[in-house]
Amino acid sequence: MDTHAQGRAHFQAQLKELEANALGGLDLIVEQLDRVLEALHHQDVELAQMVIADDDRVDGRYLEVHQGILSLLALQAPVAGDLRLVAALLHMIKHIERMGDQCVNIAKLIPLSGYEPPVHQEMLDALAKMGAFARSEVVQSKAAFAARDIELAEDLVRQDREINRLNREIFNMAIEIGDDPDRREWAMHMTLVARALERIGDNAVDIGEQVAFVVTGLFREFSDSSRPLGAA
Amino acid sequence: MTPERPIPEVTDVDPESRTEQEGEAQGSAQPGAVPAARARISGQRAEPSANGDTGVQAKRGLSVKLEGLRAFYGAAEQVKGIDLEFRANEVTAIIGPSGCGKSTMIRCINRMHEEIPGAHAQGRVLLEDLDVYDPSVDVVAVRRAVGMVFQKPNPFPTMSVFDNVAAGLRLTSRRRGDLRAKVEAALRGAGLWEEVAERLDEPGAGLSGGQQQRLCIARSLAVNPEVILMDEPCSALDPVATLKIEELIDELKQRVTIVIVTHNMQQAARVADRTAFMLDGLLVEVGPTKEIFTKPGDPRTEEYVTGKFG
Repeated sequence: MDTHAQGRAHFQAQLKELEANALGGLDLIVEQLDRVLEALHHQDVELAQMVIADDDRVDGRYLEVHQGILSLLALQAPVAGDLRLVAALLHMIKHIERMGDQCVNIAKLIPLSGYEPPVHQEMLDALAKMGAFARSEVVQSKAAFAARDIELAEDLVRQDREINRLNREIFNMAIEIGDDPDRREWAMHMTLVARALERIGDNAVDIGEQVAFVVTGLFREFSDSSRPLGAA
Repeated sequence: MTPERPIPEVTDVDPESRTEQEGEAQGSAQPGAVPAARARISGQRAEPSANGDTGVQAKRGLSVKLEGLRAFYGAAEQVKGIDLEFRANEVTAIIGPSGCGKSTMIRCINRMHEEIPGAHAQGRVLLEDLDVYDPSVDVVAVRRAVGMVFQKPNPFPTMSVFDNVAAGLRLTSRRRGDLRAKVEAALRGAGLWEEVAERLDEPGAGLSGGQQQRLCIARSLAVNPEVILMDEPCSALDPVATLKIEELIDELKQRVTIVIVTHNMQQAARVADRTAFMLDGLLVEVGPTKEIFTKPGDPRTEEYVTGKFG
């Protein structure tokens, strides 16, 4: 076949750059997640404030990629695989923006309990595990998208089940945490942290679903999110 | 090769003999889905409806089926065996790189290909169930049933707007009044009536490019075709004129089957129900336009529509 790689070289370069920018947004999320988990672990209110301030970087990336996508649609009219990629990037950058917001939600909960909150170590350990799973999911969703690896994308569901299980566990711990009002308040905040981490996991799975869409042209949910998730 | 040359649709047919054939058609009209088309293609004439309706508004298109179609210029094979159906009252776009055989293929549908010295076609082209290459068919009638619009608007330069549209009708219409009604219906059908109603006696060549192209569409419509072939009909037009033609295509498909060759991928995406991709004389893929432009099945289609070659 008469193939000319230079056909739309400029457009292809723009598309590549757009994808790199969007995937770079996931690196920003990993940074934010690392810092907010550290802030949670050490009850570091200052670090939490930095996470909140740095959400502007994530929002800026969202606007930049979003504008890039609009320009590409208007000026280059992508079709077929290119169109699917552009549509997937639009989804991805929205999920990234939401993950950024979830990091902010966690960061905002940290100072509410003061500098020396009545922590429940088991609950904190479960949250740390959840955070590790969420981080791993974000990293894996990026790798799966970059490599167009459906198998790797589908594996996100396995990790997400662990996150969901831990989320329910934390909820149950909070219920049984005792009568001390301060401790109960802290535990309530921690269920909200767990909820935010659980949402980050869901967003990573959603990005995984976009990998399958880019490759196959078919959209399917990896797991049925309408299923009841127990106490979560 | 002169693709812009208009088809002298009825000038080579003796009107007297036509009248006789009409009588035969009445007596021997075969039952079936397309008696009128059958009568026309087999060299007979279907009787106009009793109420004097020109039929332009009410007609339905016919499907066209290519079976093992091959087309040659001398020994060179340009179309290398194509099986493809153009569904009735749908717009099918043919896309593909230059020289892939798109235009040659559609010119086989109304047997214009064979007008080029040394050119011939093999295989079957079925208008519903009638093979237009059957020795018994009347080539002129085939071209009346399958109209064609070309890349460059080609009104008869010395004729008025009216005469351009009436050219194909002159010898078959019995009454002048009938002719006027048919010309008006065709111009309305081509979305041009409002713009030229007061200029019917002016030269057709005096219209704008977009109007000239719609005049050519009106000329095709006037003889009541079942199928209209369009070979890059907008490539010489500005965006506004292009938009008008595209809107017209959408209206016309209610009455006729449309096959459009286009190099403008976005135009194919806008106007066509189905899109066929050709490469090197062969059909690579045909399917709903939405699928061809979002999820083509063949990697060569993907590469072409995304501009990676062509």
